[in-house]
Amino acid sequence: MGLARWRALPLARRRHILAVVLLAVGAAFPFLSGNAGNVDAAANAFTYVLLALGLNIVVGFAGLLDLGYAAFFAIGAYGYGIAASGQLKLEWSSLWEPLAFMGQVSRLVVPGQPDTVQFHFAFWPMLAVTAILCALFGVLFGAPTLRLRGDYLAIVTLGFGEIVPVVARNWEGLTNGAQGLGGIRTPRLFGYEFGFSPYPYYFLGLGLVALAVWLSIRLQESRVGRAWMAIREDELAAGAMGVNHVHYKLLAFAMGAAVGGLAGTFYVAKLTTATPDMFTFPVSVMVLVMVVLGGMGSIRGVVVAALFLAFLQSVILQELTDWVHALGRLVDSGFLQRIELITSLELIFGVILVLMMIFRREGIWPAVRRVSALTPEQQAAAPSRGAAVQLSWSQAARADAPPRALLEIESLSKQFGGVAAADRISLIVRAGELVSVIGPNGSGKTTLFNLITGLITRDSGSIRLEGREIGGLPAHAIVARGVARTFQNIRLFNNLSVLENLLVGEHSRLQAGALGAVFRPPRVRAEERAAVDRALEVLGLFGNRLLPRLDHPAYGLSYANRRRTEIARAIMTQPKLLLLDEPAAGMNPAETLELMDLVKALRGLGITIVLIEHKLDVVMDMSDRVIVLDHGVKIAEGAPVEVRNDERVIEAYLGRRRRAA
Amino acid sequence: MSPRGPLLLDFRGVHTHYGPLHVLKGVSYEIYEGEIVSLLGGNASGKSTTMKTVLGLVRPTEGTIRFRGEPIHALRTSEIVKRGIAPVPEGRRVFPRMTIVENLEMGRYTRRSEPGWDADLDRVFGLFPVLKERRQQLAGTMSGGEQQMLAIARALMTNPRLLCMDEPSMGLAPRLVEDVFDIIRAINGQGTTIFVIEQNVNMALSVAHRGYVLQMGEVVLSGAAAELLENPLIQKAYLGSA
Amino acid sequence: MHTLDVLLQQVVNGLALGMMYALLALGFTMVYGIIELINFAHFSVFMTGTFVGLMVLNLMGVTAVSASLQGPALVGTLIALFLATMVATGVLGVLIERICLRPVRHVSGTAPMITTIGVAFILINIMLLTWGPQTQRFPQLLPNWRWGVGGAEISFKQIVLFVVGLLLMLGLWHLVRRTTLGKAMRATAQDADAARMMGIDVDRVVVVTFFLGSALAGAGSLFFGLYYGFTGYYIGYTTGLRAFTSAVLGGIGSIPGAVLGGLLIGLTQSLGGQFLGVKWTDVIIFSILIIVMVLRPNGLLGTRTPQKA
Repeated sequence: MGLARWRALPLARRRHILAVVLLAVGAAFPFLSGNAGNVDAAANAFTYVLLALGLNIVVGFAGLLDLGYAAFFAIGAYGYGIAASGQLKLEWSSLWEPLAFMGQVSRLVVPGQPDTVQFHFAFWPMLAVTAILCALFGVLFGAPTLRLRGDYLAIVTLGFGEIVPVVARNWEGLTNGAQGLGGIRTPRLFGYEFGFSPYPYYFLGLGLVALAVWLSIRLQESRVGRAWMAIREDELAAGAMGVNHVHYKLLAFAMGAAVGGLAGTFYVAKLTTATPDMFTFPVSVMVLVMVVLGGMGSIRGVVVAALFLAFLQSVILQELTDWVHALGRLVDSGFLQRIELITSLELIFGVILVLMMIFRREGIWPAVRRVSALTPEQQAAAPSRGAAVQLSWSQAARADAPPRALLEIESLSKQFGGVAAADRISLIVRAGELVSVIGPNGSGKTTLFNLITGLITRDSGSIRLEGREIGGLPAHAIVARGVARTFQNIRLFNNLSVLENLLVGEHSRLQAGALGAVFRPPRVRAEERAAVDRALEVLGLFGNRLLPRLDHPAYGLSYANRRRTEIARAIMTQPKLLLLDEPAAGMNPAETLELMDLVKALRGLGITIVLIEHKLDVVMDMSDRVIVLDHGVKIAEGAPVEVRNDERVIEAYLGRRRRAA
Repeated sequence: MSPRGPLLLDFRGVHTHYGPLHVLKGVSYEIYEGEIVSLLGGNASGKSTTMKTVLGLVRPTEGTIRFRGEPIHALRTSEIVKRGIAPVPEGRRVFPRMTIVENLEMGRYTRRSEPGWDADLDRVFGLFPVLKERRQQLAGTMSGGEQQMLAIARALMTNPRLLCMDEPSMGLAPRLVEDVFDIIRAINGQGTTIFVIEQNVNMALSVAHRGYVLQMGEVVLSGAAAELLENPLIQKAYLGSA
Repeated sequence: MHTLDVLLQQVVNGLALGMMYALLALGFTMVYGIIELINFAHFSVFMTGTFVGLMVLNLMGVTAVSASLQGPALVGTLIALFLATMVATGVLGVLIERICLRPVRHVSGTAPMITTIGVAFILINIMLLTWGPQTQRFPQLLPNWRWGVGGAEISFKQIVLFVVGLLLMLGLWHLVRRTTLGKAMRATAQDADAARMMGIDVDRVVVVTFFLGSALAGAGSLFFGLYYGFTGYYIGYTTGLRAFTSAVLGGIGSIPGAVLGGLLIGLTQSLGGQFLGVKWTDVIIFSILIIVMVLRPNGLLGTRTPQKA
């Protein structure tokens, strides 16, 4: 099949074909290789692929650097290990009856001693149980890190990653200490005992990897994945678009941990033993190296890198060593004959980390920014031309509706280090208005926006939207209530495409959660399609400036297009109140005019607009009202003409006249 | 009449970019020895970038900057400071956990091996007696106005030929602003050439000899301070057309 | 033995340990103060220092077996040992900075820290490959004299460590507080852009900081070797995490904080080991690390608050 023909196939079809081919190759491998040792190595490698995929969710998707990931590997391993070996000796009680009935535990009768319960839980339900257990630990370990910056977050996770093996080593009653667990029961499927042959584990591992890949792809291309990537790119902006960072960070930790737990259970079932040394810091680093090498966030990269490094460890280095020994014999070098390359594995890891960080941070095989596949109708979407701006989901303000207050701010104050950034500001914005906020540098305009949108908390005063208090709510909740904003210095999600940026904007208006993301019931699929439709509509508002670029990454856009994308993203939140912070900054006069036409048109959609802008002639031209701030105080308010000629305003901008010298 | 010594700073045809954003679009101005020259402009006019460009913290993509005839636009900041340009940065930027004296010592860093520390210190304390009283106080515990004094004093420690001040009035109460501009006059009276970048038009033009007005990265007005002050176009540049 | 005597003994031991952690934490915190980098490689430099010390002693003809020097010969050997090792580790730190860290210095996010993890692994494994996994004996240069103090014992080794450690810290304090270079370092740590505007060569300041910090790690590494009498490729990891906790506890970026933190962690280790069991000290120390980072990120004496991401 020619490359062009391949590319012409729709994405879903290509994926299905690839999946079938890969699974077929995977299934055929054991029979083709003919060597049980290779199959065993491959089965072990699958463990690492699972770990890498799990860490990829935490580090790659959500951008949370977890240096203690081996902790979840350990919890999954010991979770199953304890449940499936004779380690725990608890006293028998009737509580265990139902489990004994199900064949998961037995009553051990030893003459002269109280009866004890012996665990031998079956593998398959334990897969699910340990996954859930690890998810809970993921939340537990992740919770303290929520407010921390990148490297501090990493250190805390490192701390937890250290505590777990130490506990495993020292809590001998539970884990048999440094000796580790032994005699762990192997899986049994419909009477077939897995035993010690690598073949069943190979297929089980292949299945688990396929599951993890499927899970990762589904999550990545969903509302959840977009929320994670938004947090990774710019947590502040993500919150301003309605993403609840607490919820999604914990979700990432939980899912990543669950996959790690699967890996642990699988690995330990195959080895039938678990010791604390299997879960130390170098293991966490090894998984990190796999993710860094493959490309953070790149599913295919991570799988390939994990396979490569696992085989490096188990097979390749050994063969290389043999080769070097042979070379040593050839040139009669004692040094070469003695080298054992396997001990330099960690050295190789270190070198990989350093080289990748310096030269190729995006990884060897980074993810291609791929957008949700567009339907043919969507692909043919034409930019809207003409003056009338329509959005299918917006409601234009009724012309006869009485003016009502949309935003009421009363005596709002905020101090920073003793200086009042906002000093008892009171103002009202009525529905349907276009109000401009002006003032010299440092007058508190952006602070006002930050207070309204919940980025900073007020010291005193009240902020009411449609009569309900929003001061004190977190940013993402305020977005849900209907307030959206853009930023003075543009905060786009740089590595996401234009379309993805907009879809994040819709986050608070969509509903799909993790389950919906993974299973994609019809309701969720319809929701996604509608979301893309709406995004295309909004992009169309900008003529043909953004539509042709909808799958371009945001960092590559021109300055003016970045501004437009940010505004489009804010519109996607379906706001009642839109706060634009210097939207025309850096734009030339023609671009400014075009933008301002759009802003005016937005009013026709029933969106109330508050604008911070310095190009005062622009402001004067289109505002219903102008509010002037100076040193955090509202010094003037009124129609543009009044304000421009107000003595106090002129003085605020130009400075007070000097006393006669 | 403004005192006109030889040409000290020649900023010619300078363009700068911030990523894709074109900030300075061919800005030119001159400063002669002995003058006070003010560069004015509203927000987003590009005036802060100007000082950073003079100091070498931002490199021009086009154009030249000459100081006493020598090009400086490709030099490192430490070199530029050694040649006699001293900055009073926007927002003061004093070192908060160092004392007043230590801050002054840092101001004199490029001349640290030269003798004359005591003389320089005395001169500066003469201008700012408040600093002398509190010489061991940590800079971070001082008020905004006092920090501004310190920032100016720190810049004067190298006995610079050109003092560059970036928005000295920012964040200060009006009366303190008057004091600061009084001091600018006094320093100039002692012979230092001063370049003041300011948003506060009235204050700046009341002490400057000449001024330039920047708007959207271009110089739109220039001339003697007294004339500029009365020019209605200034109001337009800041507040939009009538 | 009286509980009070045991307590006193452990306090003495803890303070000696604390000196070593403090020296190690100092270098680490100085680098963080200047470029806000968590430098994992610092602790591998520490580990490397012990091996450098071994090599220096070998060169001088002093081996684990023959160590029985007296008087001036001992003092001379010690001085030579400290000087050579500290210079070597200092240079190593500078090389790491220039080759591996400077290219990523301006990258935001966690890339710089990940790079230091890589460097740490490289160093550890070079030592492992060169010297092997077994512990190496470190010559016991210091005679094993002991004196009774109250119900406890204090050894000559501990006194030497205290004295040398104090001298080094006083030297650092003098440098940072009194010399122009030290003030330039502090200025850079407080406001790098303003420091540049003063004409300070920030890159050079960074290099000097790395040199000094790594040299102090070298001194700390000799403390380890002389005190415990052994070394191994793994010591950077265990000791390093404790020193790291010391820096964080005291306030990351704060020099007095590193000293205070070091002493506190040293005391925690010895007292905790005595009363709760040695095998749990790591859990205690890691818990302290987590608690401080979550509840009070700027530690006891620190002034910077790590910002929310």
